[in-house]
Amino acid sequence: MSELRSQTLTLLAKDLRLEWRAKARLVAVAVFGLLSLVVFSIAVGPDSKALTAGAAGFLVIALLLSSTLALAESFRIEHERRALEGILLLPVRPGAIFYSKAVANTLSLAMLAPGLSLFGVVLYGVELQPANVVNFFAIWFLAAAGLSAPGTLYAAMTSQLRSRDVLLPLLLFPLVVPVLMASCKALALALTGDPMRQMQSWALLLLCFDLIYWSLGGILFPFVIEEG
Amino acid sequence: MNSRFLRDHWAGLVAVALLVAGCYIGLFVAPAERHMGQVQRIMYVHVPTAWNALLCFTCAFVAAIGSLWTGRERWDATLVGAAEAGIVLNGLLLVQGSLWGRATWGVWWDWDVRLTTSLILLLLFIGVLSLRSFAAGTERRASLTAVAAIVAYVDVPLVYFCVRWWRSLHQIQSSPATVDPAMVLPLRLNAFGLMFAAVWFIVRRARLELARRRGGETALPERAKMIEVPHA
Amino acid sequence: MKVANDRSEAPAAAFRARDLSRRYGQKWALAHLDLEAQRGEVLLVAGPNGSGKTTLLRLLAGLLRPTSGELEQFGRKLASDPFGWRRNVSLLSHASYLYEPLTAIETVRLWARLLGRSTAAPDLRARLAEVGLEQDADNLVNGFSAGMQKRLTFARVRLEDSALVLLDEPFAALDTAGQELVTNWIAADRKAGKTVVIASHNLERAARIADHAVLLSRGQKTWQGAARELPNVLARVS
Repeated sequence: MSELRSQTLTLLAKDLRLEWRAKARLVAVAVFGLLSLVVFSIAVGPDSKALTAGAAGFLVIALLLSSTLALAESFRIEHERRALEGILLLPVRPGAIFYSKAVANTLSLAMLAPGLSLFGVVLYGVELQPANVVNFFAIWFLAAAGLSAPGTLYAAMTSQLRSRDVLLPLLLFPLVVPVLMASCKALALALTGDPMRQMQSWALLLLCFDLIYWSLGGILFPFVIEEG
Repeated sequence: MNSRFLRDHWAGLVAVALLVAGCYIGLFVAPAERHMGQVQRIMYVHVPTAWNALLCFTCAFVAAIGSLWTGRERWDATLVGAAEAGIVLNGLLLVQGSLWGRATWGVWWDWDVRLTTSLILLLLFIGVLSLRSFAAGTERRASLTAVAAIVAYVDVPLVYFCVRWWRSLHQIQSSPATVDPAMVLPLRLNAFGLMFAAVWFIVRRARLELARRRGGETALPERAKMIEVPHA
Repeated sequence: MKVANDRSEAPAAAFRARDLSRRYGQKWALAHLDLEAQRGEVLLVAGPNGSGKTTLLRLLAGLLRPTSGELEQFGRKLASDPFGWRRNVSLLSHASYLYEPLTAIETVRLWARLLGRSTAAPDLRARLAEVGLEQDADNLVNGFSAGMQKRLTFARVRLEDSALVLLDEPFAALDTAGQELVTNWIAADRKAGKTVVIASHNLERAARIADHAVLLSRGQKTWQGAARELPNVLARVS
């Protein structure tokens, strides 16, 4: 266990360093997210009421769309010089590779939150009450983790296939329906107020999804990175 | 009919017999339902389709675990058969559900818990099979399919509960316990009929998969001759 | 006189392959291979492109599973968990296994940490000095030439310090000094009781340091013997 943890942390430091060296890519993903928010307002607007009502949903969809870009990119460098194979040979537990990538992906998706939500506030006229800021970002983080665990697994599975850019969303979107539903509802409650105290239930559902897929990913990952 | 034909197709024959009997009783013998009238008869195929679609996906899930655990290609072939049978049944299920919805609720689609869950389930398994079609190499393809099938199947209860909460205003549809006893027989016959049809399909498909693989394999070459070098 | 069937006394071979075969899709990359190497032995695997050298090395490294046949490493079979197997092997592959946006010292630090070796800066710099890259420790791998990348990859093999060392084209892309360095390492490894398997086209140099050689052709063994005889055999074949 401690071996898994120390290997995960070592690889995570490497993954974050690589992400940092490729800052331009992170910025591009963020800009893509912002762009999709603009596109939604063109599709729904200019009725500001409809925009405000759908704001939480638009934010979640922007996160989802950005996530497919970020996830697909996260395994590209691993295959460029077959670095992943080199890591496996050292030898490293496959689980450590999964968890480091999934955490790195979660962090980069979570980092989209401030930018996208600020843009949402300006564009959709929603008001984020100071009391709800913590809830909002906690829900966002849980959603990012929920997208990252199955997303990292699928990215590893598709990263060496033809048509990987089509396959990743094709697999990921139906799978994360619970994440989308729960985070849309919970973020909407964080934005508009939560008189019935429903937010916790949705957060709990997100947490369940996260726990299941973070465990399952660690178990199944060895089967998808071995060439066989 | 020779014995070979019977051995290969007995499940299909049983399925046809049961389905003919079930549909006949469902259409002509069973009484019309009081509130919904003739439309209700679609239930005799709809409910068995739903059960069997779920059964097929469960079979695919079990086969996926077997495939990862043992690495045997039989499990992989069963997984393909079960996933394909499930997709066909699930597709039928959505069509029937739409017809039912149009006749009883007046709309083609309703974000009902079961309808929505089965739509997501269908999309999930279509994803699994598309992934399979792009994967190269027999072993690699088998492990990718199995992992994707497990990941997809585990999602089903999560989707179900999520949609249920999401649509908390909507009342849950009738369960088999509320059905008139006179209507139970066609329901049962069709349920078993479809089950045998699914078994028949899965077995045939699995055999086809294995046969295709055999056909595509090249035999191990003969041992090459060693080079003789006379000692100087 | 040697007793032929005395297996209990014999130390476990570094690896032993029996009727080993591996298929990629339609093609048999390796077929009917019987081969073994002892501790402290340097084995040269020769053969033209596509003869199965790389497949053999990848099988030995535990990256591929045999389609049929048996493969043992130090008396153990490749179990369902390849983890223990990989602990005993190092592979220098065609691919560099490098992350290009990292610097040389960051790369070595990553390996050292994952292998549980010392990550103190002087130790890491000593590792780089061993392969002649001390001047480039803080430069990104991105800017390295092919030969420098090869040297860095060798730093990894040296760091792993495994009992079974698999070198796929160890001399390619290296200058004469680099090739000399590699030759010395192989000699030192043999002295330390390690087993080195070399797949190379640079037969002159490789045959000089190897004890035994095996010739592969279209995935099959066509000759096996003392490495110094290899040039004669190749002359006969062509």
